[in-house]
Amino acid sequence: MSSDRCALLSATFWEAGYEHLIETVHQRDALARRNLDGLEIAVHDPGGALLGEKSVDPRQEVLDLGALVEEIAGGAPRAMVTLEARYDERVFPYRPHHYAFLHRPGSDAPPLYYAVNAVLGGVPDRIGATTINNFETYVFRQRPFAARYAVLLGNLARFAAAEAQVATYYGGQRVLVEVALAPKSHREIDLPSERDGRRLERVEVKALFRLASYVVGRRADSGDLVLFDHLFTYIK
Amino acid sequence: MLGRARSLGRRVLGVRRTPTYYLPWLVRPGLECVLVVNNVESRFKTGFNRGPFAVAVVQYDARGAVVGRHNVELDDPTATAEVRLDAEGSNAGFATVAGARIFSDQYVTLSDGTAYTATHGRHEFVERYPRVLRILLGLAGALAAAAGRTLPLFVKDQYLYLGAGVRSHLLVMNLSNVANRVRVVVTGERGVRVERVMKLRPMGSHLLDVSRLGIVAAEATLVVRARLEANAWFNLYVVGAGRNDLEGPLSFMHVK
Repeated sequence: MSSDRCALLSATFWEAGYEHLIETVHQRDALARRNLDGLEIAVHDPGGALLGEKSVDPRQEVLDLGALVEEIAGGAPRAMVTLEARYDERVFPYRPHHYAFLHRPGSDAPPLYYAVNAVLGGVPDRIGATTINNFETYVFRQRPFAARYAVLLGNLARFAAAEAQVATYYGGQRVLVEVALAPKSHREIDLPSERDGRRLERVEVKALFRLASYVVGRRADSGDLVLFDHLFTYIK
Repeated sequence: MLGRARSLGRRVLGVRRTPTYYLPWLVRPGLECVLVVNNVESRFKTGFNRGPFAVAVVQYDARGAVVGRHNVELDDPTATAEVRLDAEGSNAGFATVAGARIFSDQYVTLSDGTAYTATHGRHEFVERYPRVLRILLGLAGALAAAAGRTLPLFVKDQYLYLGAGVRSHLLVMNLSNVANRVRVVVTGERGVRVERVMKLRPMGSHLLDVSRLGIVAAEATLVVRARLEANAWFNLYVVGAGRNDLEGPLSFMHVK
């Protein structure tokens, strides 16, 4: 791939049992004026081991992530999937986005549609993230729900281990969890909904560099995903 | 180049863009829509990190009428306030959120009482057209609509998902002070093509029920392409529906 192309590295987490479809280019028109030059997919297990990788035809509009993980990794209960896109910056006014559709077949829960987490790259002076973007937060509703919450964190660095702090807030109480992530590894960190009778108010994630990060909510009865969302940067 | 030409055109015609933060709302029987107002992202921003913060929420219904005004105050940057969005005789629309020192994304949640789904709003703009231009756009739009068309001044493409137990509907929002004719062209498998023209009142919305477009959902999820053309600025949110379609739990999601 020519080095005059821009690159964007995004990541998501795949779980068995879900239909997970990724739009390689969000809002691509029928004539495909918005197009990628290349798209490389890699699949890693929770420990960071590479389970498989593949070049995807960038003209392909929607990827069936389940079929792809099965094809290149032979299946896994959960995996971190990275998407490395190469593109011409003149084609995208901002940066390419991959969006995804997520649903467990047979579930009563509604499907989720989300923006795949862009972690590294883009067009630096146009990406809107020239300030610190590795200090993130998310707020929760305050009435009790029958749901479990967590954050999914992945380290996309090739060589550097990452140390992240996940802080949860319950009224005035702050609970800190330190997370060490080897290169390409990932973890799901549970966020208890209640502590000493106080509701979970918000979560913060801090790391020395940007991690792949999602807030995850699951129905307590079925385990079906109801939240799969990116966090927000504190410093805009 | 095209962007500069459009910008020049707006200046010449007197079109004003008012920066606006907005989110969708939707209520159904058994489904609660709650806005979570906060200013948490401003916590380390000088001048934006000391409360109290006054926040004004204005709720527009599908006809573009203001059906609710909610004023809340946040004591500090980590405080949140929950605002229930509903309205008598109306079931969808969008709400704007404004505050002099509010510098954070806001969340809208949909709950069936057991769990909730959530997404955030968008900081964009509302376009305001001068009176003469509104009249001209109205006349030209009526002529185009007679032929099943609209003036395609704004265009968006969006994938939709249809399966035995899933649908992605669209909440289309007119972010302007002019009647907006939005033409939707949905292309399904084997080139099946369905077209509709919707007329949205100024600041109005329309919940486009894809189940009614006549595209038959198969057992496997079908990905169809929707193209939306409009004579004025608009945007959309995807409304995810499960096995019970619009009578069951729903999710919202923004697009770019």
